[in-house]
Amino acid sequence: MSLSTAAGSGVTPGPARRGRLRRTFDKHWYAWAMVAPTIFVLGALVLYPLVRGILQSFTNLTETNQRAEVCSKTLGGAESCTPNPDRWHWVGLHNYTDLLTGERGHFWLLLENTIVWTLACVLLHYLIGLGLAVLLNRNFRGRSLYRVLLIVPWAVPAFVSAFAWKFLFNPKFGLINSVLVHLGLDPVEWFNHRWTAMFAAVVTNVWLGVPFMMVAILGGLQSIPAELYEAAEMDGTSPWQRFRHVTVPGLRPVSSTVILLGTIWTFNMFPIIYFVTGGQPAGETEILVTGSYRAAFEGLRNYSLAATYGVVILALLVVYAAAYRRVLKSKGEVW
Amino acid sequence: MSTPVVFDAATRLYPGSTVPAVDRLDLEVQPGEFLALVGPSGCGKSTSLRMLAGLEDVSSGSIRIGDRDVTHLRPKDRDIAMVFQNYALYPHLTVGENMGFALKIAGVAKSEISTRVADAARILDLERFLDRKPKALSGGQRQRVAMGRAIVREPQVFLMDEPLSNLDAKLRVSTRTEIASLQRRLGITTVYVTHDQVEAMTMGDRVAVLKDGVLQQVAAPLDLYDRPANVFVAGFIGSPAMNLGTFAVEDGDALVAEARIRLPRATTDALTTGEVVLGFRPESLERVPAGTEGAFAVEVLVVEELGSEAFLYGSLGAKLHNPQLVAKVEPRSVPAKGSVVHFRVDPERLHAFSTTTGEALPTA
Repeated sequence: MSLSTAAGSGVTPGPARRGRLRRTFDKHWYAWAMVAPTIFVLGALVLYPLVRGILQSFTNLTETNQRAEVCSKTLGGAESCTPNPDRWHWVGLHNYTDLLTGERGHFWLLLENTIVWTLACVLLHYLIGLGLAVLLNRNFRGRSLYRVLLIVPWAVPAFVSAFAWKFLFNPKFGLINSVLVHLGLDPVEWFNHRWTAMFAAVVTNVWLGVPFMMVAILGGLQSIPAELYEAAEMDGTSPWQRFRHVTVPGLRPVSSTVILLGTIWTFNMFPIIYFVTGGQPAGETEILVTGSYRAAFEGLRNYSLAATYGVVILALLVVYAAAYRRVLKSKGEVW
Repeated sequence: MSTPVVFDAATRLYPGSTVPAVDRLDLEVQPGEFLALVGPSGCGKSTSLRMLAGLEDVSSGSIRIGDRDVTHLRPKDRDIAMVFQNYALYPHLTVGENMGFALKIAGVAKSEISTRVADAARILDLERFLDRKPKALSGGQRQRVAMGRAIVREPQVFLMDEPLSNLDAKLRVSTRTEIASLQRRLGITTVYVTHDQVEAMTMGDRVAVLKDGVLQQVAAPLDLYDRPANVFVAGFIGSPAMNLGTFAVEDGDALVAEARIRLPRATTDALTTGEVVLGFRPESLERVPAGTEGAFAVEVLVVEELGSEAFLYGSLGAKLHNPQLVAKVEPRSVPAKGSVVHFRVDPERLHAFSTTTGEALPTA
C-alpha cells in the first residue's frame, strides 16, 4: 500500500515518467505512425548525409584509401585479401587547417568570389525585382501578359540558361561581342579575366533569379492596403515619399524573407558558375560550392576535403542566418 | 476660421461606365457644420467624399473649399484631413509618429510637431500610447489615433469615411458622441459618410441623403424625419422604418384594407393617378377599439419588447411595400401574438407621395 502511494506521489520519478511516456504513446501512437515515414525519409536524405559529411571532414578519405582491404587474384582464380595498410584514418582538424591556411585549394580566393558573387546577385535580384514589381503593380494594358513573360526565365532549367548565356558571351561568336563590335567597341574576351568572367556569371544569374524576387515582391505589394497610399497622399507626400514611407516598410516582411532565401540560394548556386565560367580563367572565378565539387569529383577524388568545404559553407550560412535574424529582431520584426 | 464647402454640379463618371457614380451633386456645407452623407451602399456617398478629398477625379462641375476652387488640386493642396474606414495607420510608425507624419512631411519644426501631437493626444486621451505601434492598440484606440492624425493637422475640413464601422456596437455608440462633441468643440467643417442612418441622424447638424448618385434631400435630422422629400427618404430614415403602401383613392379617400382614410384636399388635388403612396411612422399609429372610423385590423405576428418601448409587427389586409406593418405600442400592455388589434393613422402625421414620381405630396 505504502509503496504504491510513494511511487504515485512522485518520490521515485523513474516509474512515473515511464508511465507518462507510455500513456502518451498509447494515446498518440497513431500520430507517431503518421509522422514516422517523414522522419525516416528526412533522416535518410538529410540527417544521414549531413552527419556522414561532418564525420568525413575529420578524416583523410580519398578515392585511393577508401577500401578496407586490398585484394588480389591468386593463380587459382580465387581472391586473397589483406587489410589495406594505407586505409583512411582520422586526422582531426587537419583538413580545416589545411583549407584555411591555403595549404590545399584556394579557400580565401573562393570565399572572396562567393561573397562578391552573392552580394552582386542578391542586390541586383532585389532591386530589379522590386522595380519590375512596382511597374507590374500598376494598371496598364497587357499587364498579365508581361507578368507571364517576366516569369518565363524562372521556368527554364538553370543549366539551359547557363548554356544560352555562355553562348551569348562567347568571345568569337557571341551576340554580345557582335553588338559591341557593331557599336564600334572592341570585343571583350569575357572569360580571360576574373571580373569580366564573374560579370558574365552574375548577368546570367540575375536573368534567372529576378522572376522569383519579382513575384514575391509583387505579392508583398498587393498586400499593402490601398488606403495607406491614400492616407499618405492626404498627408501631403510625394510619390517618392510614398514609396519610402509606405511601400518599403510594407514590404519589409517579404523583403527580409526573400533576401535571406536569395542569399542562401545564391551562395550555393552551383550550375551558373560551373557552366558559364567553369572557373575560367584558371580557377579564378570558382566559388565555394564549385570548389567543393571539384575536390570531390575531379582528379583524385578527395572526399574528405569536399566534405570540409561543405561543413565550412554550412557554418558560414548558419552564422549569417543567425546574425540576420538578430538584426531583424532588433528592428522589431516578428519573425 | 471655419470654412464652407460647396459642391457645384459635381459629377463623377467612372471610365467605361455610362451611369455616373455621382450625378450633378449640388451641396453646400456651412462653415463649422457637421454634415452627414448617408445612403445605401453604392449610392455615391463615399465617391462624393473622395472627390472632395481629391482621391477621385471630378468629371464635370466643381468643388470649392472656402473661396478656393479645389476641383483639380492635389489632395495635399486642399488643406483637408481624412479619417479612413480602416484607419490607414502606418504600421511601422508609433502612434506619435503617425499623428505627426503629415507635419513632418510639411517640414514643420520638431518641437512644434511634438507640442501639437501632445495636445491632440491629451484631447483624445492617447497620451499613454504615444510610443506604441498601432498593432498594440485596440480598435477604439486606433480609431482615436486616426482622429488624432486628422486633428493635429488643423485642417480647414475634416472628412470621415465610415470611421465607426469597424467598432463593436457599444463602442460605436460612445465614440459617436465623442466625435460629435469633439467636432463641435473644434468647430471645423466636417463631412461624415455613413451607411447607418442612426449615426447620420444623431451626429449630423444636417443630413444629406443620396441614392444612385443623386442627392435626394438635405435637411436637419428632424426635418428629414418629419418632412421626407420622397418615398426613398421616407423609407430610409427612421428605425423601424416608416410603413409605406400604395393604395387606391376613391372620392378623396384612400382605401387602406377595410378602412377609408380621408386625404387632405391639397393631396387629392395634386394626384395625377387614381392611386397614392401613403406613409405612416410606427409611432403615428393609434390603437383604437374595433369599429372606430378609419381603423383597420392588424393580425399580430411578433412583438419586440425593448422595455422603454415595444414594436408590433403584424399583417394588414392590404399590401405594403415592406412585408409587415410596424406599430409602436404601449410597452406594458402588449397584445398577444396571433390576436387581432385595430389601429388608426394620426391624420396630422400622414405622409403622401406620388405613385409616379415618388415625390412628397402636400398634406395641408
